[in-house]
Amino acid sequence: MINSENTSNTQGGAEKAGAQTQMRKGVLELCVLSILSKGDAYPTQIIENLKGTKLVVVEGTLYPLLTRLKNTGLLAYRWEESTSGPPRKYYKLTQIGEQYLKELQTSWTELVEAVNKTISNNN
Amino acid sequence: MNKTVTINISGIIFHIEEEAFEKLSKYLNTIKGYFSNTDGGNEIMGDIEARIAEMLQTKTSAVKQVVLMGDVDSVIETMGRPEEFAGDQQQDNTYQQQQTHTHQANNSAKKRIFRDPDHKAVAGVCSGIAAYFDVDVVWIRLAMFLLIFFAGVSIWVYIILWIVIPEAKTTADKLAMRGEKIDINNISKTVMDEAEQVKKRIEKYGNDFKNRDFSQPRNAIEKIANFIRNFFILLGKLFARLIGLILLIFGVMFMLVLLSTIFGFSIIGANTEFNDWINLFFLERSHYTVGIIGITLFFGVPILMMIYGGVKLLFKIHYTNRWLNLSAGLVWLSGFVIALFIGITTGKDFGNGGKIKEQVQLIQHDTLYLTLNNNKELMNKLNIQDDEYHTNRGRIRINNRRSDYMIGLNGNSKFIAGRSSLNIVPSLTSDFELYIIKEARGEDKRSATERAKKIDYKTIQQGNTISFDDLFTVAENEKFRLQEVHILLKVPRGKVIHLDKNLEHFISDIENVTNTFDGDMINRRWIMNKEGLTCIDCEGITQNEDDLTEPPPAPPVPPINSSVNTKDADIKIDKDGIKIQSKEGNVNINEQGIQINTKENTFNE
Repeated sequence: MINSENTSNTQGGAEKAGAQTQMRKGVLELCVLSILSKGDAYPTQIIENLKGTKLVVVEGTLYPLLTRLKNTGLLAYRWEESTSGPPRKYYKLTQIGEQYLKELQTSWTELVEAVNKTISNNN
Repeated sequence: MNKTVTINISGIIFHIEEEAFEKLSKYLNTIKGYFSNTDGGNEIMGDIEARIAEMLQTKTSAVKQVVLMGDVDSVIETMGRPEEFAGDQQQDNTYQQQQTHTHQANNSAKKRIFRDPDHKAVAGVCSGIAAYFDVDVVWIRLAMFLLIFFAGVSIWVYIILWIVIPEAKTTADKLAMRGEKIDINNISKTVMDEAEQVKKRIEKYGNDFKNRDFSQPRNAIEKIANFIRNFFILLGKLFARLIGLILLIFGVMFMLVLLSTIFGFSIIGANTEFNDWINLFFLERSHYTVGIIGITLFFGVPILMMIYGGVKLLFKIHYTNRWLNLSAGLVWLSGFVIALFIGITTGKDFGNGGKIKEQVQLIQHDTLYLTLNNNKELMNKLNIQDDEYHTNRGRIRINNRRSDYMIGLNGNSKFIAGRSSLNIVPSLTSDFELYIIKEARGEDKRSATERAKKIDYKTIQQGNTISFDDLFTVAENEKFRLQEVHILLKVPRGKVIHLDKNLEHFISDIENVTNTFDGDMINRRWIMNKEGLTCIDCEGITQNEDDLTEPPPAPPVPPINSSVNTKDADIKIDKDGIKIQSKEGNVNINEQGIQINTKENTFNE
């Protein structure tokens, strides 16, 4: 009995972790776009902004995301020299990006409402 | 004390402990590996490196100049293991693609060939190919089906492809299988991108070279060497694909030839004389079948491996199935051994020759007329038409093809018949002697001789005419072991033979004083004298017709020293020479030479 309980617990744990990762990943895109909508930023700044949100477990997650968003035309970037380190890549929201962010925000709000409603009803 | 290495990350120089450097370099390489198949991978790498440089900068100062192991560990911890953030990269891409159709082109994974387990009919080969070339699977299947009728090519090709092409197991595989649509735009885009990359790299190396640290010239040279090496690797890859294509084309061609040969042989073997030959040639019927299998494996396995290798090179399939190679080698070897075994077993039965010599008793005459016997019974059994035999004057033809051996049918049993030949040599005695020499091959001399005894050959003497059978026969169901029959006629000195026209292809290289060819020896009479066979009625040697009708007066005959009178001829020997007179003609041998007059001459010429 103890054994089987243990197994189910670990399985549940793994599922929980997987779901959380997926959730974070989905929301991270929205957060990055939101941060950039307030002004251009380079990766370190974005990370500073995200720190404490628990959205970014490891920093590495951000870079593929930025490149992907850039490649799909939602973001653009420019180089800026830095006095203290390597040149910085400042990312900026494009027009498509802004539009996309708006859509994303709308669907996010809807989603949150729907989810909250479902959860509270069932509780 | 620890050794340090100087490195350059995103243009910032760091002094780093050797161990820490190794760890960092390994870490960066792992990330690179994860993004190598992703478009924009270089860019991601650049961003990550820039961030690492920034982080390392915060960890060094004028007091602590060297990056230590702990610093690298903390950087890795912050950045995360590549599997933590790069794992679902490809999936993210497609997700993105579905969302934004306008910008889909850039970031899909490189296309690779896989078997498609989701749309399979047999093993998913056709659907995989269809996905790779972006055509409807129906066409591929139709082509495969039609190719079955070309000696079953597609069945073999299918099996090879089944073995060679891996199945798309993971989602990543399945995405790579569909990949990007291959069209002109994409190809040119890929080429342009690649060219851009190369250009950038060259510029980078150029800059590096300009700004190189002269204390470390090796570094720049190494980079150039690296670049050259990469260039050749790229060239090598292209070359490998070309080789793969060539291997594939030739492999399929050879396969077609091999299959049609086997196919052809089995058709021939099914219903013609070829089948009889197989039975009479091999010790057992099964030896032929096994031998064919051996030869098929011996040639087929390398051809299959050729196609296999070609497909692997062409579609850049890197995985190697060691068991496959090993078993292919074993199968090939066993094919070789089987073929060799059958070859040796069959060949051994031809190993030794045996010979028997039989004398045929003859009734002696002064002149023997030699002719070919028309053995109608035998010709029937051999299914040779009467006119066929005659028009060709002893030259036997079957389907217009001259052959030394043929197969006859006696009831239900098959037997071999072969062409014999006649040679004429001087006799050491005063009699005509006729020998029949029968030869055969066998495992040893004894069995070969036994086999030679089973050869049947007939001659018939009627008065002064001897008829020869053109063909000898071998006992029914006796194997074909190069049986031969040679007939030897020994002619005593002074006796005459006449060769009939139909002997043209029966006689073989009969020696004569005038070196006349066999073809010119027929239809003439030949006498055996001291020098050998001499033509009695050949042109040039022949006296003209006047001589024949009025023989030159013989010199007065002095008392006879020796005289023999027989029923056929009178022979006188005295100081003027030897004089023979018979009904057929006269022979005078004296100081002037030899004179021969015949009555026959006038009739024949």
